[in-house]
Amino acid sequence: MEKILAVKHLSDEELASKVATGSRSSFEELVSRYSSRLFYFLRHRFKTEQDTEDLIQETFLKAFRNIDRFNPERKFSTWLYTIAIRQAISRFRSEKKRSTSLDPSPSPPNPQDIVIQKEESQNIWYLASELGKKQYEALWLHYGEDMPIKDMARILNKTPITVRVLLHRARLNLGKRMDPSIASGKLTGATTAAHKFSFL
Amino acid sequence: MMRRSKMFCSIYKWKISQAMDSRKPTSGKVQKHISKCDSCREYAELCTSLKPRFIQDKQSTLENFDETLNKKIMSAIPELLEFDSESGRKASWQKYPFRRPVLIPSLAAAFTVLVISISIIFLALPRSKQVPSLGQISTLVSAASPEGILSKVESPLEKEYTELKRTLESTSKFLISSFDLRIGQQAK
Repeated sequence: MEKILAVKHLSDEELASKVATGSRSSFEELVSRYSSRLFYFLRHRFKTEQDTEDLIQETFLKAFRNIDRFNPERKFSTWLYTIAIRQAISRFRSEKKRSTSLDPSPSPPNPQDIVIQKEESQNIWYLASELGKKQYEALWLHYGEDMPIKDMARILNKTPITVRVLLHRARLNLGKRMDPSIASGKLTGATTAAHKFSFL
Repeated sequence: MMRRSKMFCSIYKWKISQAMDSRKPTSGKVQKHISKCDSCREYAELCTSLKPRFIQDKQSTLENFDETLNKKIMSAIPELLEFDSESGRKASWQKYPFRRPVLIPSLAAAFTVLVISISIIFLALPRSKQVPSLGQISTLVSAASPEGILSKVESPLEKEYTELKRTLESTSKFLISSFDLRIGQQAK
């Protein structure tokens, strides 16, 4: 218990250094800090939640195996997000090879889903997810992770200017999609976001 | 005119975005335009309101995350935790100066210079007596006189020529003996 409390106060980079020397509790803390963030970052890339969870699991396993390669002078979040996005890309490629055209047609949403979706639509991240993969990821890293453009460019494997353009377009598109009450800042239901996102 | 102002607006909106990304205030020129243009003012307001809204909604979104995934991840880890001890392993970035093999330009240049200088020295050094020099080899080749050797070798054409010559000689001898020809003498 003391161990868990002790690691709570450490930074991500300090925790990663401890994991490199064999601390399990430090790794557990990193998992609890990042699993949800990675989940919402990668959610829109996959059809099911299960696929997203599998990928997050793979990401953490890879991070764990290669933790000795991590340099604590750099940001842990950048390193982990880079692993996650590379895993997602390679998984997407391998699935593309295997995929057949026998995908079942989507079933019509039931009324409960429609209500949940309406509530979710008040959440700005839901709106952001409708902008498309690239713009959503740029927004997540910039606003959700408060990352500088340089780190974002490294994770997204793009030039800094491309990232700036992505962010600019995302803001413009968000402005178009927001209803006037949200756009003017009078948010009412934003914080009462539904139980879980179903971004796409 | 309308089109032109729209074009200017898109430039000003880009400048507003740039200022947001670099976390710097917008320039005086942009602010002057914002005070006149409703569309750009709305965009600037949107940009400033986005950050707190994203942060607020992120918190509410993450709160609803299902924690069972964390347990699933950690259940996959113990098998790999063979080194889980206080002595532990040392991170490779601490062990080695370079984490991956990297081509360092200065080292590469030094290596190239070294290779070139060794090869120059090797070429310039006088050779020992045991190893023949290029000049010695050429004299040996000329002494061997390849023409003489070649002359000794009988070509198939020459062989045929001598064979034919021999046949002609024997034919002429036969004819002389058969007809009793005495070339240059009177017959008896």
